[in-house]
Amino acid sequence: MLIEYLAGDTLIHRLDVRTKMFGFLGFMILSFLFEDPIYQLIIVFCTGLLAFWIKIPLRKFMVMVVPLIPIIISIILMTGFTFSPGRFDRISSQAVLFYALPGDRLGATVGGFLMGTTFILRLLGMMIASTVLTLTTTMDEVTQFFQKMKVPPEISMMLTTAIRFIPTLDKKRRQIVEAQKARGTKFNEKGIIGSIRSYLPIMIPMFINSILMANSLSMAMLNRGYGLTRTWTSVRELSFEPRDYGTISLVVILLTLAIFVRFKLNLGVL
Amino acid sequence: MEIVENLKTTNSHETDISAHLKHVENAIELNNISYYYPNVVEPSLKKVSLNVEKGKFVLLMGATGAGKTTLSLCLNGLIPQLLEGKLTGQVSVAGKNVGKTAVQSLSKVLGLVLQDPETQIIGRTVEEDTAFGPRNFLVPLEQIKQRVDQTLEKVRLKGYNQRLSEELSGGEKQRLAIAGVLVMEPEILVLDEPTSELDPIGRAEIYETLDELRRKKDLTILLVEHSSEELIHKADEVVVLNQGEIFWKGVPTELFRNLPLLRQCGIKPLPVSQIGWDFYEKGWISFAEIPLDIPSAEGLIRALLPKYGKQQWQQKGQEQEQRIERERERERDLGLGLELDQVHRRNSRLKQEANQSDKNSSVEVRNLIYHYNSEQPALRGINLTIEAGEFVALIGQNGAGKTTLAKHLNGLLKPTQGEVIVEGMNTQQYDTSDLSKTIGYVFQNPDHQIFSATVEKELEFGLKNAGYKGKEIRERVEQVLQVTGLEKYRSVHPFSLGKGERQMIAVASILVLKPMLLVIDEPTTGSDWVGVQTMMTLIRKLNAAGTTIIMISHDMDLVAQFANRVIVLKEGEILLDGTPQNVFSNEQMLLDSAIIPPQFCRLSKQLNDILGHETFIESSEFAAMFESKGTTGC
Repeated sequence: MLIEYLAGDTLIHRLDVRTKMFGFLGFMILSFLFEDPIYQLIIVFCTGLLAFWIKIPLRKFMVMVVPLIPIIISIILMTGFTFSPGRFDRISSQAVLFYALPGDRLGATVGGFLMGTTFILRLLGMMIASTVLTLTTTMDEVTQFFQKMKVPPEISMMLTTAIRFIPTLDKKRRQIVEAQKARGTKFNEKGIIGSIRSYLPIMIPMFINSILMANSLSMAMLNRGYGLTRTWTSVRELSFEPRDYGTISLVVILLTLAIFVRFKLNLGVL
Repeated sequence: MEIVENLKTTNSHETDISAHLKHVENAIELNNISYYYPNVVEPSLKKVSLNVEKGKFVLLMGATGAGKTTLSLCLNGLIPQLLEGKLTGQVSVAGKNVGKTAVQSLSKVLGLVLQDPETQIIGRTVEEDTAFGPRNFLVPLEQIKQRVDQTLEKVRLKGYNQRLSEELSGGEKQRLAIAGVLVMEPEILVLDEPTSELDPIGRAEIYETLDELRRKKDLTILLVEHSSEELIHKADEVVVLNQGEIFWKGVPTELFRNLPLLRQCGIKPLPVSQIGWDFYEKGWISFAEIPLDIPSAEGLIRALLPKYGKQQWQQKGQEQEQRIERERERERDLGLGLELDQVHRRNSRLKQEANQSDKNSSVEVRNLIYHYNSEQPALRGINLTIEAGEFVALIGQNGAGKTTLAKHLNGLLKPTQGEVIVEGMNTQQYDTSDLSKTIGYVFQNPDHQIFSATVEKELEFGLKNAGYKGKEIRERVEQVLQVTGLEKYRSVHPFSLGKGERQMIAVASILVLKPMLLVIDEPTTGSDWVGVQTMMTLIRKLNAAGTTIIMISHDMDLVAQFANRVIVLKEGEILLDGTPQNVFSNEQMLLDSAIIPPQFCRLSKQLNDILGHETFIESSEFAAMFESKGTTGC
């Protein structure tokens, strides 16, 4: 998930944060309704279109996806071998391709592989959708969303500062790693104990630095009047516009349609 | 000069007024303040009483641990409201009793800017951050917008509203931190070492901002600071703290002319004042004549030279003048600056040396190009040979590539193109952990590496990594503890020590490996003068014992004083390379990369009709121009 806000003025940018959150929820439901990879592919394609619309930074996105490839492959393999034929409704899905072990054990089912593909597409779809959401929503809007949802202000403040400090802490981490490398720390010791031990020189300064930073952050916040009242001036009042109502209706229609297709027509299952 | 004069007159005017209304006009009143941090026997502040008049610019100085930060935390109630401990006495700020007012409410009266801007920026964008304060006070949105724009203009960040705070430079971040408290429109601004982490440009930006603020608005400023050159004529008053007590209070010029007093306070004297003090001791000038800036030092030397100067200098002055004239003509004919010529000569010499494959060279960098990601190259074609035993200073603006180059030396970065050979090892083929046995690298912030529970264990860590065992480890640790003067702290937790000591621990933890080449990145940031001296003495000692030193620094006085070779980087290329005298005499080229040469070098330049092309870097060299015997009466 990319967290920085991407300035722009598309419809998605202008939508109310509550509409976007609702849309995101709708997308999640949609993606969990269907098991058939074809349907998932359609969903991913649609979110992909949204992503293109807001001009998602493709390279950064790829940087995020590429390390996941081994996980993707292992998920497909896992589901392929672990889902028994009896789990599937359709005959074609129940077909066993081959057995991994002698004596007809650990069979690879067609349905299993398809299910694996669905999982992957679901993951991808969610990554795209959440990226679209975060890229088009400012932190302030998120805070206001929390406020509207009656989340205590302390918690929303905590979350927003946590997000603000991710890049700062990441920089700290890099500096610590370099400082320790320069003292000859090796990060490839064998075994679980070894690897934990080799990360202590990183973790301890990291904790200490975080605590020091938190300390001076709390001072800085008090210095600037935080905590005097439990509320604060909202930068932009949230208000539903016609486009929000339109979008919400669209999501509702889509969801109803999907539920009809899935449960009445019984499509999209494996 | 005129501005300074003007300021002085307005100040004296203000003093007249405030003399009449004294008790009303005090912005800060401290009455018999003592403070003990929790679980500490010694008080951090001892019976401090201090009044700061409204509209004054007061400088708070003193060695590390003198209580400067503690004092500033008392002013807005963070002590005792956030930090516990025992506070006695009374603090009042703009007529408000600090003990009885919440920190948050006080922030409308007194703005406190802390040391590290990184942890004071709360918002993701400049605008979001600046608006944080007024939003807490439920100021209406329209007004906030107006105030944010005004404040950003004041700190010279106009138009930065939508910029991400994370992507600002150090100086910009600090100015944003100042904006964050200014936007609440306080009457008093307290800044705790706002420039300690900044390069000279960043520092100049902050000082200019403060100057502007003072001129435009009736703001009382209390500034905690180590460095002094720029501030002498800006501040109305200096307060020196020493071990929690007010040690001295008065006019800045009074303090900075009195070298023995400065030494007692642990404050760095101005270089030119050292020359003046020398004359004063000889009885040639009065105390008030001790120069604090270059023009007055120049005038003084010119005035004294005919009277007390050695014969040779008077003659030499005339000869040099003629020679310079001739040289200037020659330069004009060639159409080439002399400086550039020198660099070329040096480069070709380096190339020759490289071809000879000299055994003695400690570092060899050939055609080094380095790209971060795929952006602009950070280093573009560096060729460099450093002999064993040299003391090299790497200087240049932030982003010039100093650290990038230094990180190539122990393999933290690998060349995109070209090669780096250190002590006979090509960094491309070795891991940083292997190189760390011969090449020591001390980073700027010691807190990034300290992780053990005692100083002793901290020192052992590197040795264990390098595979040393029992007795060898003990011996080496023992030795280094002695050399660095950390013996008394051996079983103390590193984080219970001050910044200066932690910096020393960081150096010590590298020294145990007995590196042949030591790279030190900014070894003295945030240290007081005594700390700087201790650190530099140690480094010089190491160098004398044969360790090659490469030091990155922004402190030009230190560079001139200690290094025997200075390399100036600019935009990833070597701009100048030579002895400190050579490099610092190229004032114009240095100006382009925002380096201000040390005072002595600038003074030599001013006196070049007498000194010719010679550049002095120590006060003793100037003193040597004069008769050593003192005469009485002036």
